[in-house]
Amino acid sequence: MEYYEEPNARVALGLRRPEPGDWYHGYPEYHVERDDDKCIRCLVCVRQCPYDCTFYDPYRHGVYNVHENCVNCRRCEFMCPTSAIRMTKWGAGFRDNDNWKQKTIRTVYKQADSGAVSLTGLGNDREYVSYFDRMVIDASQVTNPSIDPLREPMELRAYIGKKPERHTNPPEVYPNLKAELPVIFAPMSFGAISFNFQRGLAMAAKEAGTYFNTGEGGLHPDLRQYGDHAIVQIASGRFGVSLDYLSNAAACEIKIGQGAKPGIGGHLPGEKVTWDVSRTRMIPEGSDALSPAPQHDIYSIEDLRLLIYGLKEATEYTRPVSVKIAAVHNVAAIASGIVRAGADIVVVDGFRGGTGAAPAVIRDHVGIPVEVALAQVDQRLREEGIRHQASLIAAGGIRSSADVIKGLALGADAFYIGTAAMVAVGCTACQQCHRGRCSWGITTNRPDLAPRLQPEVAAERLTNLLHGWAHEIKEMLGMMGLNSIESLRGNRLKLRGVGMTQVELDTLGIQQAGL
Amino acid sequence: MKRVYPREERCINCHLCEVACIVEHSETKLPSAAYHVEGLRFNREDSRTICDPAEARAAGVPKPLNRTLVQTAGYLSLSTNCRHCEEPDCVLACKNGSLYVAEDGRVLVQEDKCVGCWMCVMACRYGAISRNPARSNVPAVAFNGINHHCDLCPERELPACVWVCPTNALVFEDRDDQ
Repeated sequence: MEYYEEPNARVALGLRRPEPGDWYHGYPEYHVERDDDKCIRCLVCVRQCPYDCTFYDPYRHGVYNVHENCVNCRRCEFMCPTSAIRMTKWGAGFRDNDNWKQKTIRTVYKQADSGAVSLTGLGNDREYVSYFDRMVIDASQVTNPSIDPLREPMELRAYIGKKPERHTNPPEVYPNLKAELPVIFAPMSFGAISFNFQRGLAMAAKEAGTYFNTGEGGLHPDLRQYGDHAIVQIASGRFGVSLDYLSNAAACEIKIGQGAKPGIGGHLPGEKVTWDVSRTRMIPEGSDALSPAPQHDIYSIEDLRLLIYGLKEATEYTRPVSVKIAAVHNVAAIASGIVRAGADIVVVDGFRGGTGAAPAVIRDHVGIPVEVALAQVDQRLREEGIRHQASLIAAGGIRSSADVIKGLALGADAFYIGTAAMVAVGCTACQQCHRGRCSWGITTNRPDLAPRLQPEVAAERLTNLLHGWAHEIKEMLGMMGLNSIESLRGNRLKLRGVGMTQVELDTLGIQQAGL
Repeated sequence: MKRVYPREERCINCHLCEVACIVEHSETKLPSAAYHVEGLRFNREDSRTICDPAEARAAGVPKPLNRTLVQTAGYLSLSTNCRHCEEPDCVLACKNGSLYVAEDGRVLVQEDKCVGCWMCVMACRYGAISRNPARSNVPAVAFNGINHHCDLCPERELPACVWVCPTNALVFEDRDDQ
């Protein structure tokens, strides 16, 4: 039998108490229950746990846990061939207190232990109002016929980019992205996510006729073949940017902000910068890849215009240029400025957007929901008569095809899905992306963990997801008596609000349900 | 001929192939029984459970063993099992003809003939043959056990290890042309 070293000293000593200065781990959050009758000691769980939580004790011939280290990623539960493992909450937790919740107390402990900024991953997990969940969709009855999408054609294709203002002969044609359904994979950089996952995204995008976004981490040479389906990002760190990178893509995107962390740059911890990542990003191996908070050549709309046209010149006006901003206060005026600066696509990223690593305090408290930002931006661009000059992509918090339909009715042309794509390939939303040892092989490049996600498995699951969503979108369009997403775009009469105040309804530009 | 091939760049070192192999070659085909019950017998004389394989063998219950073995070196790992060579060294080395090449190309062992001399283990260049101490045909050297290697799961269309592998790191395919 192989011998596994016990993961930390206090377990070897048989002590449960944490080391001095580690209060955070003094109170376990989850309990790994193992049914000893079912456990066959195959040690799959021991080998699969990347968080030093599970170990084999050869003296007792048993598998045991350091529950303090468990993050509830559920990998062991998933892999156990006999279903011997289940996760439970550890006891009663702290005394019930709506003000000082378990999470609040633990965060204070953690910071008092370390004195550091508390990092986290994934998206905002606080209990904010979800306007998507307070909007309901219309359907046709008697006075207008609904359409059966299985019997009649239904148009889901989205052209994303600048459109001509009026018909001319010959027509004005601008470079546009052609997506077979209005769902695009969100910017997730190689380094933040594994190569296998990005490759899976690329394969699925090609298969489904949509696009994936490289994020700010450059385009790996092996993914050049998917260039026609890649949106390449130019962020403040300028990682991996070259003329080859720009001209090998379907579109270029200038990243100003990210929904999960508006106003600060990307954080890629040094342990995630492996040889391959360093080569793609053009930075030293093992160095922290911290993007500057602003783009230091963009301090105004005029500066942004310079970069937009710089990119257009570099790609000889053959590709649309997108600008991605986080949804913040006064977003409509900002978006208006961006469109006037010459952007063909504006991406608005709401505060529920995911991240590979962000300070928890910023992820949880900064930004606004994408629903209201979307409604306001669309309204403002219409009022100013410049809506045709740019397409609007909504990102951050799109969880289902219903969110897509509601977002379309609020005025978006297309959507980015990031967290939904990760969940589709196995993510259990354990929020440990920043630690670089994702047990599902999604947000890690450690050579023993990354193979857990295989590109074709990811591609198949993502294609299935898009296929299912496309079906559902068609069904919902048909139900409303529409046969294309063009007919729904900005059609807020198809939405009604439930349980909202008048101010909220007015901000979203929709009516109260019942009216 | 179809064989099981490992793809080491996909292996995640979970050893589920070994679990599946043991379960597939057990009597009950139930994981808990294969690991906990088979090969063990309750000894009525002194009211204890037999855990020693030799003792279990005396009681007549073979303990299932894995026929594929995950080998690791640093971050690299891969599942190794019998290659079912066209000209197998083990068959040449076998001194009493208990190893043979079946008509379908599989290298098989006649379990009632093997004497446990281990020439096959010496001859196999892949280290794919192990000893099964649960059985023996020669009482004098009972501890030797008999030859034990992959039989490509004759009762299944797809070998159990290939079927269970979560990352498709094992494939069952015909590469004779390559």
